[in-house]
Amino acid sequence: MKMSKSDYFFIFIASFTGFLCYLIHGLESLYLASNYALNLLILILPMLVGGLLIGGLVQQFIDQNKITKALGEKSGFSGLIFATLAGVITPGGPFTSFPIVFALYVAGADIGALVAYIAAWSLIGVYRLVIWEIPMMGLDLSILRFLVSIPLPLIAGIAARRLVQLIPLRDRESIKK
Amino acid sequence: MNTSYVIVWVFAAILSIMVVRKKGYIGLKKSTFFAGNQALSISKKMPFALLTAAFIAQLVPIDELSQIVGPQSGFFGIIISALLGGLLPGGPMTSFPIALIFFAGGAGAPQIVAFLSGWSIFAVHRVLVFEAPTMGWSFVAIRLISCALLPILAGLIVHWLPVGDITVPPIFGL
Repeated sequence: MKMSKSDYFFIFIASFTGFLCYLIHGLESLYLASNYALNLLILILPMLVGGLLIGGLVQQFIDQNKITKALGEKSGFSGLIFATLAGVITPGGPFTSFPIVFALYVAGADIGALVAYIAAWSLIGVYRLVIWEIPMMGLDLSILRFLVSIPLPLIAGIAARRLVQLIPLRDRESIKK
Repeated sequence: MNTSYVIVWVFAAILSIMVVRKKGYIGLKKSTFFAGNQALSISKKMPFALLTAAFIAQLVPIDELSQIVGPQSGFFGIIISALLGGLLPGGPMTSFPIALIFFAGGAGAPQIVAFLSGWSIFAVHRVLVFEAPTMGWSFVAIRLISCALLPILAGLIVHWLPVGDITVPPIFGL
């Protein structure tokens, strides 16, 4: 099995915190923690597998060219709404979303749309909601947080369009080369 | 909880049919390949991430922290929670279990919403590992400033809403 740096990081951090636990609370705390972790794992697993599959399926409907057209400099308020929707349905972790953000920026998407996209993906991404939040936090709290956060990416996008006039961004042309 | 399992799998089944109609079985194959790859990468991290969360829950006095941000803590508690959430490193595998313990320990609903939003938006590790290297620091600055008030806003909206009792899943073993 191929191990990446971050895999080792997780093993290291688990061993380190586990060792601290053992020093402070003794052997029984290790047993309690493993029991908790195992129960969570069983709770999450059916959702995780279903959610990952949904992520793969949704990718089949994404058309890069159309998205870039809809998110360009002159896309206005509808561009922000479109970016928010795209963020909501983007599956996967930062390793899928940031390559998309970068590609969209190089292709001509404006900063408001990109900020709205990231905010939507991180705050109201359906994928994370289904796989992680609902199984762990319960339906009530998850849905409440989701509904309350719906307008927030639009606010962030509008703020970013104002801010970019004060803080200049890296030139797109120089990135391409 | 069983309802959400059913919803996810029905949704997955409907999407599968749509993909087969649009792109044929090759589309379905690509989708499962994508899912399988991610599952493989997650499965190596997840047991350790969950364990880490359980260990941290025993090391950090989450009970005492969650009393400070109880339902009565209002605006002050919302700000503190948003900051705590923003400082929490790691992905959903570690953060949600910690948030759950935080909530069960006595944190209020507006405060826990601010906590989760703060974590979603500021995610220190994500900024350092993904965002800054790909997009550059001026982009990071613009995004963080634009989003700075959102966790507090989310908490305040919940605070103002007439929300009844919120139930969360039981915590096992701890």
